[in-house]
Amino acid sequence: MLIAQILAVVIFVAMFVLIITEKIERHFVTLGCGVLTLVLVFGACMQSWDAIWETLNVQNIFTPSFWIAAGEAGESTSGINWATIIFIAGMMIMVEGMAKAGFFRWLCMTLAKLVHYKVIPLFIAFMIMSSVLSMFIDSITVILFLAAVTVELAQMLKFNPIPMIISEIFCANLGGSATMCGDPPNIIIGTSLGFSFADFFTNTGVIAAIALVAVIFFFFFSFRKDLMKSSAEEKIDIASLPKPSEAIVNKKEFVFSVIIFLAAVIMLVTHAETGLTVAFIGAVIAVVTLLAFWRDIPELLKKVDYKTLLFFIGLFIVVGGLEQTHVLELVASFIEMISGGNLLLMVAIILWLSAAASAVVDNIPFAATMIPVINSISQTSGLDISVLAWSLALGTDIGGSATPIGASANVVGISVAAKQGHPIGWGQYCKHAIPATVIVLVICMVSIFIRYSSHLV
Amino acid sequence: MEKQLIISISREFGSGGHVIARMLSERYGLPMYDRNLLEEISKQKCLDSNTLYKYDEAKRNKLLSRTVRGYSSSPEDNVAYMQFDFLKEKAKSGESFVVLGRCAESILKDFDGLISIFVTGDLESRIRRTMERENLTYDQAKSKVAKHDKTRKAYHNNYSEGKWGDSRFYDMCINSSVVGVEDTCATIADFIDRKIKADNK
Repeated sequence: MLIAQILAVVIFVAMFVLIITEKIERHFVTLGCGVLTLVLVFGACMQSWDAIWETLNVQNIFTPSFWIAAGEAGESTSGINWATIIFIAGMMIMVEGMAKAGFFRWLCMTLAKLVHYKVIPLFIAFMIMSSVLSMFIDSITVILFLAAVTVELAQMLKFNPIPMIISEIFCANLGGSATMCGDPPNIIIGTSLGFSFADFFTNTGVIAAIALVAVIFFFFFSFRKDLMKSSAEEKIDIASLPKPSEAIVNKKEFVFSVIIFLAAVIMLVTHAETGLTVAFIGAVIAVVTLLAFWRDIPELLKKVDYKTLLFFIGLFIVVGGLEQTHVLELVASFIEMISGGNLLLMVAIILWLSAAASAVVDNIPFAATMIPVINSISQTSGLDISVLAWSLALGTDIGGSATPIGASANVVGISVAAKQGHPIGWGQYCKHAIPATVIVLVICMVSIFIRYSSHLV
Repeated sequence: MEKQLIISISREFGSGGHVIARMLSERYGLPMYDRNLLEEISKQKCLDSNTLYKYDEAKRNKLLSRTVRGYSSSPEDNVAYMQFDFLKEKAKSGESFVVLGRCAESILKDFDGLISIFVTGDLESRIRRTMERENLTYDQAKSKVAKHDKTRKAYHNNYSEGKWGDSRFYDMCINSSVVGVEDTCATIADFIDRKIKADNK
């Protein structure tokens, strides 16, 4: 077993290094490392077909409980999390349909019009919209559209778009932490540990809402000079600005995409009551979107980000290697040891460690790795798994905001700004994002300590 | 109608490549694009060009940047691609021009009108030239030459198919120390004239 453990760790570390260096595309990295895990760790060292079978987890898809469960039972923390993959694929197809119909641009332009194109109200409105949309839609898509519209409005209204884009990125990550489907780590945590949309919303959602208020104030005071300067500029002829209705490419498709989106939101909000799993919801919205946009099926399918889905599959196998060889139990024991059995300290370590790690490495592999760890901690320490799960979700989601490379939304937002001639360096980004991240993490820690005090003593 | 002519000049630091590019631009009456590309881009987009200059011809820091779905967080990447797109647009529009650096021999390789030159020089004469031009001591100039060569090489090799200064990827590689900057320019011009003649046959 020792050789298997060493090999599993070596493959895992090599995967992380290769992902960071970007020499090879990340889905090839995780799939290659996944194959090595199956062949070397499970095959050569452990000679265990059971480990391979459990990690591939294909049999799970053919069970009724994978699609419709009485209560969210939790897929299992081991192996490929197919529910996450199917749900993300479904959301990708739905979002492509919405984008094609012009929904996101219409929403941004409508909101800008509602606040009369005034810079400060626009700044606050876009932060709120970024948070709210990211609760249901992947933050990359939200930022892709929001940042593009922000740059466009900045050119027309003559303001500096960088403060607004940094705030939008932060709020997208914060909004993503509020729900089960907001950020990939949450989907993995929710499906692995059996939490529902409502569980997330009433726990991380409440904390994210409090943090959002604090963040709006923080960014307002942080950027007020830039914003005030912009507001003082000459008057703009509002009539010359693009009308929201111009963003709608096809009215019929627009209506369909809004209905599908609202149906997806309702299904997600009520899935604990209806018993529909996120895999089912993902599959349904994908099929309905494809039917509604049947003329554009090839185009929509082509736009699905298969690389990310393959990245997930390889990643789950590599993490499965660490799990099957009990390496993650050793990590859990180590965390318990340094916390000396102090539950408050244990939660704080999970929160801040997740945040620090997610600020510098991709938060998805980190969350996937930590789920078996918190499961093990919960079993040995007796601490309710939900408290650890919320700490992990908040830490990974919020920590990613601290640096330009911490989360996918940051990379996309910074890139959209830079492509339009507004490069954002590390210094400029971190000057505002790190204090905001620390403020939000302190709010998270205090909220967790107060709200779950009965579990923590 | 005259055929398109795009002269791409790549150069080692201190080899006189910039002067040669300017002389060629005057000789053929063509606009020259170097750092001023960023000024043009800034004018088009109503930006402050100074914010773009610090990322000009620099290599991305791989540890401090990430790429997601083809979007890069590296300002160096984005400024580089902004310039590449600008040059491609110019080339597509049929415009003839001289371009200094910016991996032009690689990004414009599909245009028939391209002629790519790499100007090198003996290290000693490049150091002497830098000392005179920038009023530096020998050691300061030596370190400046080494630093800029390293940056240019890293930048070029990051965005181009071929290696910086590898003769297989240029139409002509020439050492400006042998006959001096002016005669080197004349030699290059002769080569360009012959290409124009051959193209018009």
